[in-house]
Amino acid sequence: MSAFAGVASPSARDATAGPRPGPWPGMLWVTWRQHRGLLIMVAVVFCAAVAGLLETGLRIHQDYALLIACHPATSAACQGLSNFFNSTDWHEGQFIHVAVQAAPVLVAMFAGPPVVARELETRTFRFAWTQGIGRVRWTAAKLALLGSALVIPAFAISQLLTWLYAPFLSTQGLTALTPTVFDTSGLSYAAWTLLAFCLGAFLGALVRRTLAAMAATLGVYVGLAGLTWFYLRNHYPVKTYWPMQLFEAGWLLILSAALIAGTLWLVRRYAA
Amino acid sequence: MSVLTLPAQPGQDTAPPPVSWRGMVWVTWRQQRATLIAVPAVLAVVAVFLVIFGLKAHHDYAALVHCSLDQGQQTQACAKAFSNFNSADWPLANTCSILMQLAPVLLGAFVGAPLLARELETGTYRFAWTQGMVRERQAIAKLVLLGATLVVLAAAFGELFSWFFQPFLWTEQMNRLTETVFDTSGIVFPAFTLVAFAIGAFLGMLFRRVIPALAATLGVYLVLRLGAWALHGQYPVTAVTGNADLPSSYGTPSLPGFAWILSTWFTGPGGKPANMSAVNKILGQYQSNPHPKLSLTKTLANQGYTEWSRYIPLSHYWPMQFIEAGWLLVLAVALMAGTVWLVRRRAA
Repeated sequence: MSAFAGVASPSARDATAGPRPGPWPGMLWVTWRQHRGLLIMVAVVFCAAVAGLLETGLRIHQDYALLIACHPATSAACQGLSNFFNSTDWHEGQFIHVAVQAAPVLVAMFAGPPVVARELETRTFRFAWTQGIGRVRWTAAKLALLGSALVIPAFAISQLLTWLYAPFLSTQGLTALTPTVFDTSGLSYAAWTLLAFCLGAFLGALVRRTLAAMAATLGVYVGLAGLTWFYLRNHYPVKTYWPMQLFEAGWLLILSAALIAGTLWLVRRYAA
Repeated sequence: MSVLTLPAQPGQDTAPPPVSWRGMVWVTWRQQRATLIAVPAVLAVVAVFLVIFGLKAHHDYAALVHCSLDQGQQTQACAKAFSNFNSADWPLANTCSILMQLAPVLLGAFVGAPLLARELETGTYRFAWTQGMVRERQAIAKLVLLGATLVVLAAAFGELFSWFFQPFLWTEQMNRLTETVFDTSGIVFPAFTLVAFAIGAFLGMLFRRVIPALAATLGVYLVLRLGAWALHGQYPVTAVTGNADLPSSYGTPSLPGFAWILSTWFTGPGGKPANMSAVNKILGQYQSNPHPKLSLTKTLANQGYTEWSRYIPLSHYWPMQFIEAGWLLVLAVALMAGTVWLVRRRAA
């Protein structure tokens, strides 16, 4: 790990030279070095998820196409297709849906807390936070990079899942506003992933123990998600799909920003 | 801490006296008190929530049952009660059920992974493992004490959840043999928790780092759970073959339950395998034109066809529970033995 604080040589700069302004591109390398386990795991899970969703989605769309092309609808053969679609395919779709919904918090639980808490727990902050870039920018850069590494794949997965799930909207009588469908479509899924990550980072900085912060992230996220599904959504000022999506993504984004600000503030005022 | 080595006297056994198991209980408590307080506290909070919501669900369900039995299910008042139950109570119960599927691995991973890995990660093993208590005994004591605590907590919590979920079995057409219900009831739920704990401890010793062990425990448990679901219908001595007329759903809430039908097939006249197109024709004809007096089974029988099923009757619930809990227990014990062996083998 290179030291970013350079020695001021008299010939190169004037006498008031402080440490050079933080080399932001250097943070890219540092984040990779310190979190390559996590980033590799996210990449592997993402690829596996995309492959699985594509394969299953193609199959489901095929079955659905056969189903709606089948005439007459009341014949035994068509009933057989319908039964198969509504039992086997539907169960598969449900299982995938639950897995995709559970994934963000489980991944963010591993991504968020270690950023600050691991440094504090292992005392490596004494080295990491005394680099030329300064502790606040160090943390901010890491959070931005890791956050993007989680949110962008999450958005892709949610679009893929929306495509996969589309046939079930008509066969199972679901709408775009059904809570489970609403959660994994549009902007909602990516926004919730971002929130889970920011929550993890904040609780890591607050609690200063990685494991406790992970458990706390899980608990707070489940509580907040439950509150939203069963209570808050009924009290939105808007009632149609895209306005609700934008409203939800909006307040989640504001909350995430507040949590990040809180994290950076805690990092700044930490006195060992 | 007292010094356990003494200068050797002639004719005296110079090995340090073994530290008592009671001492080990105290050490485990000191090291794990955060876990041993936090886990029951969290479970207690969730239990309070389940009790409050469960009482409401049971109340609504009782109204539903009354309605159906007194007035029949198709009346206006009953339809309203049904839709209320399905829209207000079921979504929350469904969420709780899904979280319950995750509960064993979350409990097991958070308690098991740091158990030994934390000592190795922070280097405190250099102190902890050089006390008079042989290191394997420490590991055994910790595994047994925390494992037993988890099993007791999980058993109690599982029973509470089974009570909570019972009203939804009829409305969602599930019974105790449905995988999601089976795995969170009886003795299988604490068994899964124990296995997750054992996996966590074992992977902790293998990786010597807490967070990777935690992540790996989640992954291994997922594979294990999917494997258990695949094996579910294959347990010996539980499946029955017969040609009785089996209900495949709840008719009314007073019906005790229905069997889990694994497969069905037809035999034709003389007991030979039936020609399926002929059978399908009869089925199609009966569905579009049901005979007022003859049941489908009689209609088929008149033509010489019999429907056979391979099914697991509801009465085999406990044998299946014992079989599943049995192999889970064996797996857990094997993993714990492996953990102790790793403790012994690893120098650092």
